[in-house]
Amino acid sequence: MSSTSTPAPNQPAHRQPVYDSALQPHPAVEELLEFYRYRGLVGQWSRRNIKLRYKRSVLGVVWTLLEPLMLMTILTIVFSNLFRFEKLDYPYPIYLLSGLLLFDFFSRSTLQIVEETVASLGLASRIYVPRSAFAVATILSYLASWAIALIPLMGIMLYLQHPFSWAILTVPVGMLLTGVFALGVGLLVATLGAFFHDIKLTYQVLLTGWMYATPIIYPLSIVPVEWQKYFLLNPLLHLVTLVRNPFTLGQVAPVHSWLVSIAFSFGALAVGWWIFTTKRNVFDLRS
Amino acid sequence: MSLTYVARPPVEISSETATAPQLAVELTDIEVRFTMPVESIVSFKEYMIRRLTGRLESREILALRGLDLQVEPGEIVGIVGRNGAGKSTLLKVISRVLRPTRGRVIIRGQVAPLLDLGAGFHYDLTGRENIFLNAALFGYPQRVVQPHVPEVVAFSELHQFIDLPIRNYSSGMLARLGFAVATMFRPDILLVDELLAVGDEGFRVKCLERIHDFRSKGTTILLVSHQLDSFSEYCDRALWIEHGEIVAEGLPGDVLRSYSKGFLDT
Repeated sequence: MSSTSTPAPNQPAHRQPVYDSALQPHPAVEELLEFYRYRGLVGQWSRRNIKLRYKRSVLGVVWTLLEPLMLMTILTIVFSNLFRFEKLDYPYPIYLLSGLLLFDFFSRSTLQIVEETVASLGLASRIYVPRSAFAVATILSYLASWAIALIPLMGIMLYLQHPFSWAILTVPVGMLLTGVFALGVGLLVATLGAFFHDIKLTYQVLLTGWMYATPIIYPLSIVPVEWQKYFLLNPLLHLVTLVRNPFTLGQVAPVHSWLVSIAFSFGALAVGWWIFTTKRNVFDLRS
Repeated sequence: MSLTYVARPPVEISSETATAPQLAVELTDIEVRFTMPVESIVSFKEYMIRRLTGRLESREILALRGLDLQVEPGEIVGIVGRNGAGKSTLLKVISRVLRPTRGRVIIRGQVAPLLDLGAGFHYDLTGRENIFLNAALFGYPQRVVQPHVPEVVAFSELHQFIDLPIRNYSSGMLARLGFAVATMFRPDILLVDELLAVGDEGFRVKCLERIHDFRSKGTTILLVSHQLDSFSEYCDRALWIEHGEIVAEGLPGDVLRSYSKGFLDT
């Protein structure tokens, strides 16, 4: 037999040799172990997402930098001229943009998880892949976009001669916590999305409401005092404090904000992960 | 170039060997039940309305009903059956894409599914980028794949095209790349659906050559088709699946004869 091709090498022995469905742990634990085994995929898939995001738009990265700036300009004009908030201790554009970037990350990444899970249904019904890997990759790629968008924010701080503080170094931790929260919410909504195709539209409406219920374009102080306790039930209010205070006040967010954020984020992740993994058969056995 | 497939002695599936601890694939009482709404309800609004008015019906489809299968390491098993008989569902259970609603699945060794070549390819990315991504989907990390990329490029014959976005590839080129990535490493268990509709005749021969090489090194192979004639010569055993159950099992020639007879009868 004449052979032009070199024979394929034996597969590397790093993968699970025996699978026994009767010996698998609870689906939530099994998915976690499988996620760890496929951790290489997470990095590669998030890099792919970033690459594709910037390949598609003409201006590429520049657009990511410009988009929040333009939105901020519009909102600054509208809100600081029409609504006239009481005097803030810091420039309104900085307050607005630092909060807006969080919400932008949250809505884009969760919507993407909902979409990707439906899209990767096609993929995951063809090759065995732990589906959570795609969700985590989505979060990581949007965290990267958020980090890039902090550059124009700091540009505005320079322009407005607003002081920088060492507290900014805690912002990445707040961003990671927001990522954990978004992952939990994304997995939860994605599971619903496996049942109903219109969940995306419903969720989009919900997101719009959520944005206005969160003090992002207005300060919490304009909310009547008797209502404020209800606002404190919103996880995004606490998360936004973590990533905004260092820019506006030049201070690390208060300890209670951190504790509440950690509780909400990991709580949401636990619930989302649990439901996503225990209902995984819904994704498989739906035709 | 000529290929000779030496028929192996058929593997005896006696009760002693069936209980041997080291089977490559061991399926016990596998049931896959799909739930389909009678009318397709896809919207949340519609669902709530139907739920409230109590008009929510669904129909269940049994793709596999209590199927048992044991495959020895190194065995080549051909599976025949009509469209919708449950062949692809069976391969999905073995590749772990589908989790059965009942039954036990034991898989000893690494499975490579040649079911849907190039699943996960992205058209805006280059051939090389897609090699890494597709390999990652199979669970191979970048550092493991890196040294074998030249072999994949050589095997898929894409040489100067490998750094172009694959949207510019022909369907033959895509199939070649898909096959080359999927068979980059020799798996313990290879699943082949509808034997290789890849590219031109020359490449087909190369693919068969590679599968033959896997086989000679001990890879267990499960082949699925609705026409087994083409590969009966190199199967050790054949199964005929109808309505999610095994209706005949044995030597490829015998099973094929009754299959084609059953085909004519109905």
